[in-house]
Amino acid sequence: MVFGSGVVFALLFLSLYFEVFLLVSFLERRFSTPKMRADARPESLPDVAIIVPCFNEERALGASIESLLALEYPRGKLSVIVVDDGSTDSTLSIARRYESDSRVRVFTKENGGKHTAMNLGLEHTDAELVGCLDADSVVAPDALMQIAPLFTDARIAAVTPGIHVKTPKTMLQHMQHVEYRLSLFNRFILAVLGSVFITPGPFSIFRANVIRELGGWRYAHSTEDMEMALRLQEAGYMIANAPNAIVHTATPPNLKDLFRQRVRWTYGWLRNAVDYKHMFGNWRYGNLGLIVLPFAIISIFTGIYFFARIVFYLFVAAYQKYMELHYAGFHFRPSAPDLFYFNTSAIWMLVWVSVALILVLISIGSLIGTGSRRPPASTPLFVIFYSLLVPLWLGAAVFRAFFKTGVRWR
Amino acid sequence: MEPTVNIRTARWGSYIVAFLITALIFATALYASNYFNSRRAAEIKATQDNISVDILSTETQFELLAEHSCADIEENSVLSSEIQPLASRLSYLELQPNVDPSELIRLKRYYSLLEIKDYLLMQQVASKCHLKPVFILYFYSNKGDCPDCENQGYALTGLAQKYPGLRIYSFDYNLDLSALQTLIDINNVKSDLPALVIKNKVYYGLHTIGDVETILPELAKMATTTAATSTRNR
Repeated sequence: MVFGSGVVFALLFLSLYFEVFLLVSFLERRFSTPKMRADARPESLPDVAIIVPCFNEERALGASIESLLALEYPRGKLSVIVVDDGSTDSTLSIARRYESDSRVRVFTKENGGKHTAMNLGLEHTDAELVGCLDADSVVAPDALMQIAPLFTDARIAAVTPGIHVKTPKTMLQHMQHVEYRLSLFNRFILAVLGSVFITPGPFSIFRANVIRELGGWRYAHSTEDMEMALRLQEAGYMIANAPNAIVHTATPPNLKDLFRQRVRWTYGWLRNAVDYKHMFGNWRYGNLGLIVLPFAIISIFTGIYFFARIVFYLFVAAYQKYMELHYAGFHFRPSAPDLFYFNTSAIWMLVWVSVALILVLISIGSLIGTGSRRPPASTPLFVIFYSLLVPLWLGAAVFRAFFKTGVRWR
Repeated sequence: MEPTVNIRTARWGSYIVAFLITALIFATALYASNYFNSRRAAEIKATQDNISVDILSTETQFELLAEHSCADIEENSVLSSEIQPLASRLSYLELQPNVDPSELIRLKRYYSLLEIKDYLLMQQVASKCHLKPVFILYFYSNKGDCPDCENQGYALTGLAQKYPGLRIYSFDYNLDLSALQTLIDINNVKSDLPALVIKNKVYYGLHTIGDVETILPELAKMATTTAATSTRNR
């Protein structure tokens, strides 16, 4: 009991510390307001090739390509490379329809995974910048103009966008809509800390010669986006975030698909963490090594531990209630709520503080991504239910990572 | 918001500021929790003081009985109606972390003493006024050596709700209180808990509502009585 409370206090302290640290870092950035160098003159803009790796994306591919062709970017400086990774549906024929546009080239190959599709696209371009757009995402017309000028700074090897949920419909998608607001904050603040460790598939843009210098994309436990970012960090490059470069991405509409996606992400993160374990706690990598990576791992185990504890106590409480009903019978006596029994334990107060801080971070994420501090209306749903769902895939991913079972994209 | 990037040097200043803020939040939460628990203990103490005055008042009334009729002193008036919530509140406080154990024991001793006083007074009132209240003395242990005590507590709570006229007095067998130890000795209660004392006979082990109803057939007549009860049973 005492040991359990000690663990709870320790994990709560670590969780709160990380939240407070991010908030302090954000406030520091807010008051210092450094401007990034950016040359947006048309003649200075670099050539950009956007690679669209796709496998069985017949439903979403058309919209993705059309959004790329609608980008407000000098026509002669933009190319779209669609790489069909051995699809078995009509993905290829849909892609071919767009070849009439001189900016679009389509390649097809045997299925080999996202990294092989990206590398094929990289081989077929000499553009200065190369980007990726997952075929389930669409970009805002000015997205590239928000990103490309930032490469004026030669130290920057990659820029990540601001990712939003594409037309949320189901309750689960509305909860992810809130989660993505939190991610907007995380992506932004990690860039502030020089600690971005994911360059997400929807519209991250890279300096092509750096990617070539590092050997291109490689197999990385179905999370190539994460591995590439870690490799860039390891090599000493900087990764920026441009939250105004808006991308809308399709999210899983049901629990089964969401579960599979998140197990893949978490599994990949854990396996990549093992591959890059030399960066953890290593002061040479600054905030990334000392704070961000260790806390990203700790948060997984904290989530699982708290969830297991809650489930255990719910079972105990249910058993006690059953025994009470069994021995005392049911006697309903309405009574006014008594403040005496209001839970004022330190642990609960700290949990409330932690939840309040998460709400603040969601609000800041909304400010970063939309210019308004107002969180989405589904925020209460997210806070109540999502926190109960997350540990499920965290647990499954830890199990799979431990036994190295591998994960499937679909 | 404007795009952002930074070099990845360690921010020792931010680490320290965040640590201090987190430590401050923790200290505030611990202080607030202790403060609220102290408030609870003070509230219980105030309630006990009220009950003490009630009992003293009844004792005084009892001494004046020679000059008054029994109608003036009903069995209902002996125990304050606050004693039932008090029992629950004490149980709740006992489960809270960060409660001063010596304060908790002091409150429990006070509560047990009030119960014994009430029990004795009720016996005298019953004898003088020819009343027939039904008593149950319940002895339990919180030391982890009584697996059935929790369920016995549920059964007695159910019994008290079913028969509001039934008077149940519950005692922590291990509480260091000389008056309680005397009560245990008088009734010859062994440490084989849970134990119920009904009509001067000790019953050991778990007894359900049905078991007690069998021991006390007169309960059937009490269903409509509305006396307050005392049920510290866990």
